[in-house]
Amino acid sequence: MSESAAALDITDLVFRYASGVADVLRGVNLRIDHGEFVALIGQNGAGKTTLAKHFNGLLKPSSGSVRVMGRDTRAAPVADLARAVGYVYQNPDHQIFAQRVRAEAAFGPRNLGLSPSEVEQRVERALALVGLREHADDFAFSLGRGQRQKLAVASVLAMEPRILVVDEPTTGLDQAGARGILDLLSTWNVEGRTIVVITHDMTLVAERIPRTVVVNDGLILADGPTRHVLTDASLLRKAYLRPPQVTRVAQRLGDLGVAPDVLTVAELYRQIAARMGPS
Amino acid sequence: MEPADDVAIRVRDLRFRYPGATRDALAGLSLDVCRGEFLGITGPSGAGKSTLCLCLKGLVPAGEFSGSVSVAGQTLAPGSAYVESSALVFQNPETQIIGLTVAEDLAFGPENLRRDPAWIRAAIPVYLDQVRLAGYQDVDTYRLSGGQKQRLAIADALILEPEILILDEPTSELDPIGKDQFFEVLERLRRERSITVIMVEHAAEQLAAMADRVIVMQHGLVVDQGPPDQLYRNPVLFHHPEAERAPQISEVLFELLQAGLLPASQFTAQEEAGIQRLRALLENSVQSVAQRV
Amino acid sequence: MPVGYSIYVDRPSYIHHRLDPRTKLAALGAAFVLALAFNHPAVLGGLVVLVLVAGRVAQVGWRSMAPFLAGSVWFIILGVLIWPLYVRSGAPLYAIAGQTITVDGLLFGLAMGLRVALMVTAAGVWMMTTSPQKLTVGLLHLGLPYKAGVAMTAAIRFVPLLNAERATIAEAQQARALDLRKGSPLSRAVKSVAIIGPLFIRAIDVAQGLAVAMDARGFGVRDGRTSIVELRLTGVDRMVMLALLAASLLGIALRLLGIGLISRDYL
Repeated sequence: MSESAAALDITDLVFRYASGVADVLRGVNLRIDHGEFVALIGQNGAGKTTLAKHFNGLLKPSSGSVRVMGRDTRAAPVADLARAVGYVYQNPDHQIFAQRVRAEAAFGPRNLGLSPSEVEQRVERALALVGLREHADDFAFSLGRGQRQKLAVASVLAMEPRILVVDEPTTGLDQAGARGILDLLSTWNVEGRTIVVITHDMTLVAERIPRTVVVNDGLILADGPTRHVLTDASLLRKAYLRPPQVTRVAQRLGDLGVAPDVLTVAELYRQIAARMGPS
Repeated sequence: MEPADDVAIRVRDLRFRYPGATRDALAGLSLDVCRGEFLGITGPSGAGKSTLCLCLKGLVPAGEFSGSVSVAGQTLAPGSAYVESSALVFQNPETQIIGLTVAEDLAFGPENLRRDPAWIRAAIPVYLDQVRLAGYQDVDTYRLSGGQKQRLAIADALILEPEILILDEPTSELDPIGKDQFFEVLERLRRERSITVIMVEHAAEQLAAMADRVIVMQHGLVVDQGPPDQLYRNPVLFHHPEAERAPQISEVLFELLQAGLLPASQFTAQEEAGIQRLRALLENSVQSVAQRV
Repeated sequence: MPVGYSIYVDRPSYIHHRLDPRTKLAALGAAFVLALAFNHPAVLGGLVVLVLVAGRVAQVGWRSMAPFLAGSVWFIILGVLIWPLYVRSGAPLYAIAGQTITVDGLLFGLAMGLRVALMVTAAGVWMMTTSPQKLTVGLLHLGLPYKAGVAMTAAIRFVPLLNAERATIAEAQQARALDLRKGSPLSRAVKSVAIIGPLFIRAIDVAQGLAVAMDARGFGVRDGRTSIVELRLTGVDRMVMLALLAASLLGIALRLLGIGLISRDYL
């Protein structure tokens, strides 16, 4: 795999299922470099999950090309690409089957054919990262939903992929759980890994993820800094999405001098406080 | 609180523990719900919200139960008779849909209660219309999207003609369109009928817009309650990094409140009202600057 | 595996909508009785044609019926290869490896293949013309306990769901470098635990969720259930069932008389 190549390089990707009547992806171009943190948003059925499944070779293009670190996915089996691209599914119960937490996290690295000591090291690191170290010897199914989510993430992190794709990590989690997962992903990203998050949670994207790609009707509708994409209400409307509430509020105050590209509560507060001047 | 016969649900000291659990799921909870009220419930995972919903439907799980629950005058306890006055909508679109076609699914509940088939057949299109699924009678249920399934689940509950509708995180598995359409249907329902609604939701902005009163649960107890415009001011439960989700507008107004820039009476959790308050704030400060100059 | 709940396809035909599901069930039964009664390829072949005609009357497309026939070709080939080694009566045709192959042997083998074709095609046409909902109600009228009826419907309801879960689980584990193509059959079976384990748990979860949802909608609260599907046996139904009964009895009688058979020694 070439080091100078992009992490993910997708050119004119067209995809349709074998039994399908229409193209699910109709010519997608996307380039993600190493170390990026990207959100993939769009309605269900727009194609974002179908697109993401091309990243680790689960799906192969009908036409066009998908390159992972320079390598064409058509030529590589999924089990092989799993070394480079980790994919965490939305529902942790689709992955968890081993008895104990430790064994569950070890499943991936063992499949990679690593030595037992290497597997053990990676499992320890991954469990520490997600904060499940004290539960290492518990039964996986005795954990609550939020912790099982973390275990699913840890199981994939233990394979130490350079690219991580996470599908809807915050569904079904409360605020604390959602924040925890995002903190985890941010930490992983800071260490130089590439992360792609598929999500519906606009607020979390606005607060935590620097780049946003909008998928609509099998095409990329927008791709750029979150600050530009998530504050463009008319663009988002085409994908049947809305900016976060704080952005909508800020844009209604535009005539009073508030900037239209506000993404967080803190930013709006500062804008308003500044305009109110010294008392 | 209104006089006694306007109370739809009365819970006193409800205590429940699952078998083998180390602590109570519900720890002596007390709550009154008025007839026709829209009550929102929020709180972290494990607070006991789902357990409470099950209890209010009379589906008390196996475990240690104590305290009293009365729903539309009927006292509930483990093993008591089926509760007809409340109906429940669950979180997962898949496991609630039982019939192979939409009509079959809608008919499931009334058929269980041995209602007259002619009545059921006439009721089906009426309820489908209410949840914006008109004409879907013969559609196979596997073809429905998650959002459509959840709307069908509302119809499934309403066709049982309950006085109280309980919804447990009904939109958490839905995409934004699904959520919007679901809340739209709920809004319309609320306007057109005087049904009592209890909804557990993390979608704070929608909850604040629809609920008359919101309660926050933690560790099996109600730790605060009030109309959204009051409740979302609570600085312990909201407005800090480890807190529950509050509508973003209320977070902004809270910051302004803390900084002394907003009078307490102007605090709100509603988007429209909040925008108007902020406009007033900014316009006044422009004026006062102009006056000084 | 059907994409939907069953291969039932709704058509505006008499058989679909006017015949009671109990009648259709009787027709299936009669087809099986007649399939077992005869072992002459001409008779069985004729019955297959009859079933196909019934399918066309019910507006079932040739393309829908073809897979059932196609699947039976395999059994016909097997039959013609194997049965002549057992059925030795009739005029000899040729010899292979010291075994004499007779005309009767070949015809019997053909008949066995056609028997499979008849039963499979009859079952297929039956499934395509009987809606699961009506069938369940029909069975209830025949004495199936109402809870069993709901269990049947629930099982059908969850086939596509669990199929989708299995596919998702397989993908999720593949993404953890599980490779089911490599290794000995034994090691591959062991690796399948990674798919069967979560699937089993998911199935239980789904079943539990379903049970609570059913309880919440009053399942089991009253003694029995009403149904929006109303079935009535009409005059036509009775006539058809009578005809089917007559045909079945005739078939058995002919069998006992040795008519329509290649060999009396074998079924």
